Amino acid sequence: MSMLRRLGRPAPHRKAVAAIALAGLAVLAGCGGSSGGSGGSTDDATPKAGGELKVSFFPDNANFSCIDPFQVYWIEHRTIVRNFADSLTDQDPDTGEIVPWLASKWEISPDGLNYTFTLRDGVTFSNGNKVDAQVVADDVKGWLATVAATNGTAYGASYIQGLTGATVVDPLTVKLTLSQPNASFLQATSTTNLAITDPAEYQLLPADRCTGKGVIGSGQFVLDHYTAKVETVITKRTGYAWASKLVKNQGDAYLEKVTFTYVAEDSVRIGNLTSGAIDVSWPRNPITPQDEKLIEASGQTVEKRALPGVSYTQFANTTEGRPLSDPQVRQALYKAVDLKTYAKTVFGDDYPVVAGPFDSTTPFYSAQASKLAYDPDGAKKLLDAAGWKVGSDGFRAKDGKQLVLDYPVTQFSAGPELLQAQLKVVGINLALRTLTPAQTATYVKDGDYDLTQTYFTRADPGALQFILNPDVANSKALANRSATPAVTEQIKALFKKAIQTTDAAQTKQAYADLQALLIDQGVTFPLFERVQEAGVSKDVHGFAFTSESFLRLNDVWKS
Amino acid sequence: MTRYILGRVLQALGVLWAAFTLTFAILYLLPSDPMELQLAAAGLQADGISPQQLADLKHQYGLDQSIWGQYWTRLSGAVHGDFGMSLTQNLPVRDLIQARIGQTLLLTGCACTVSMVLGLALAYLATFVRWNPLRLFLTRLPALGASFPQFFIALMLIQFLSFKLGLFPAMGNTGWKSLVMPVATISVLTSSVLAQVLIKSFDDTLRQPYIVTARAKGLSRSAVHLKHALRNAALPAMTILGLVIGLSVTSSIIVETIYTRVGIGRLAQEAVLSQDVPVVLAVVTIAAAIFVTVNLIVDLLYPLLDPRIARNRGRVRVPAAQIEVSAA
Repeated sequence: MSMLRRLGRPAPHRKAVAAIALAGLAVLAGCGGSSGGSGGSTDDATPKAGGELKVSFFPDNANFSCIDPFQVYWIEHRTIVRNFADSLTDQDPDTGEIVPWLASKWEISPDGLNYTFTLRDGVTFSNGNKVDAQVVADDVKGWLATVAATNGTAYGASYIQGLTGATVVDPLTVKLTLSQPNASFLQATSTTNLAITDPAEYQLLPADRCTGKGVIGSGQFVLDHYTAKVETVITKRTGYAWASKLVKNQGDAYLEKVTFTYVAEDSVRIGNLTSGAIDVSWPRNPITPQDEKLIEASGQTVEKRALPGVSYTQFANTTEGRPLSDPQVRQALYKAVDLKTYAKTVFGDDYPVVAGPFDSTTPFYSAQASKLAYDPDGAKKLLDAAGWKVGSDGFRAKDGKQLVLDYPVTQFSAGPELLQAQLKVVGINLALRTLTPAQTATYVKDGDYDLTQTYFTRADPGALQFILNPDVANSKALANRSATPAVTEQIKALFKKAIQTTDAAQTKQAYADLQALLIDQGVTFPLFERVQEAGVSKDVHGFAFTSESFLRLNDVWKS
Repeated sequence: MTRYILGRVLQALGVLWAAFTLTFAILYLLPSDPMELQLAAAGLQADGISPQQLADLKHQYGLDQSIWGQYWTRLSGAVHGDFGMSLTQNLPVRDLIQARIGQTLLLTGCACTVSMVLGLALAYLATFVRWNPLRLFLTRLPALGASFPQFFIALMLIQFLSFKLGLFPAMGNTGWKSLVMPVATISVLTSSVLAQVLIKSFDDTLRQPYIVTARAKGLSRSAVHLKHALRNAALPAMTILGLVIGLSVTSSIIVETIYTRVGIGRLAQEAVLSQDVPVVLAVVTIAAAIFVTVNLIVDLLYPLLDPRIARNRGRVRVPAAQIEVSAA
């Protein structure tokens, strides 16, 4: 979904930056191993060069077709970007540690306002232009210009909050300056959104760059073409020699060419994989248990890695007059949804059960499982107390009005019928309404929903600000409707407390308080933990996830 | 004759204009605000910008004009072959169409050819066979073929021919193999429609007195069937050729989507769902143009094939699919 712009509010000192980063690392490290980490086949066969890898995604973004690294938020396209554009730093998926990539080293000033990067020598873009300090400085200028041109909605804006500019120190040294400390900025330099591209692209309009025009990176692959909604093709580049230490293959890619197609039908995507027509089937929502069996029966494998960030979360429309404006009804909603059965039925027996506003791999994660426990009797009592009485049709009503929740169904929905059946048990009528892509672009702003969903992939709880804090939220409409002004103030205060401190313990406490508050006040309704899954052909070796659970192709080869 | 041609051409243009206007009206009634869609396509959110900026952008995209103003801009653009910019893809509609139309024409062209051959063969067999049960079966077959949903046929073909047997790819545009299943899916419907008309007209033709004469002259049954009956029976099928081509083009919407093919059918489907008005208008206009052109060609060819029409100076319509003769 479209979401989220800026990054967390600043911490004033470098110590805080380090402490928060470390806390994040610890969490990532704790979860990396169990969730599969970098994944991939562990066979020791000698890699073979050549061949074309065929990857099928779910449909392309219907409303914002874009492949420009700084602007794109579509998870699938961030995977593509990762393989044709490099970043200053890289992030270890197992430990969360930030490691050198295009920058061989860096220094952060004690006040957390200056980041001085020393660039690796000899790096070139695929068009032959050198990657030097001037290029990075011009990219920074380009990012800021894009933020201005899109009124701050360009997705990359959330990664550069506080950034004011860059100065060239010497041909290989560049200093990035922030107006306020930003605890997540170093991690941001490792993301696809701040990938270093040939700054010539910033002479084009943001919308033109979205089509791939002028988008040139220094990656192992070159963006050949992007045909919106049809396919994206990247081809191997020769002479690549600046991989980060996180990949085994430090030289040219093994694959000649990678084709990404967009397939609407789940069954076709899976069938193509099992029949050998494609090599990787990469869905948005996790693969169903039935499809997983199908894939495994045909000898292929399913790779999994949890996505850090906001879990798959539903947000209520608490506008006056709507059923969910009543806090008791919202609390009843928690008790009425059986998250365990939901996870098991929709995604399979060993699928993790969501336990809070964030996925368990997010730094400062604090489980709220007991508050989310299934308790239909409790839900019924709350609804009775709120004045909603069961009618003859089994649904509740108050003042002659049935308890109907308008529930828009989009391409991101998973198992809406199951949710509907669960709510029916306590007498809530969840009215499913399937939207066209055009409607998905506008229904949130128009307030045409009682319960809607969104999420955000990033290893930082601050990300949730860009859903819930109306001052910085991408959709102010969603932020304003999700909580009362008083609760929104509390949320904002907790974010401030978490980010603008030198005390790691305070950050931890503030985020813990925030996660409790979000459930106590009925602001976020987690539905499932997000896990990136991929069906992978047995002929594919060296499959790997990045720290943000994107596909990394450096070590991939086909037998 | 000139009047006949002129009338037909004017009629064709009228149909084109009506298709364009009707599509514009329908798209105008759809729920979402085109401005918001356009903003979303540019990576902007309508509630994130000031009313003044919104007004400026509306002006920039020409959305501050009245409905008639917008209609006129689109129509005059379309007449000059300029369909404007796609609302969701940041590309001129012309580029989107140009990159896809070849594939769709290839698909529908193959489907029409195959269905003509199949339809004719089926009709020929159904009327030639003498063993009643088989004759009955063949005569009823087109009704069955015409009533199968294409979605179902496509998924079944994919399931068996692609996933089970691995004969043809389930998606894509690469190579002749990728055409086989899409063409088959469309042809089931179109050849059935053709066969239904042909069977009826075969039956009628075979009851004509000249057939009796030909038989009486000692010609074999197959010779009569092939030479005398076929040529006359095929004539009414020309009438529905336009319909068959139209059906193939509309089928491409479903078929290209299921088989993940690049083409204007899939483009149309995506454009309708995301309310990309300029793209839908362009695709509908082009599809209507194809349909109208084929019908025009058929209309113009008719006088050459059937002298009775030329003699009536174009005042008659093309002959009905059946010609009853009281003596039969």
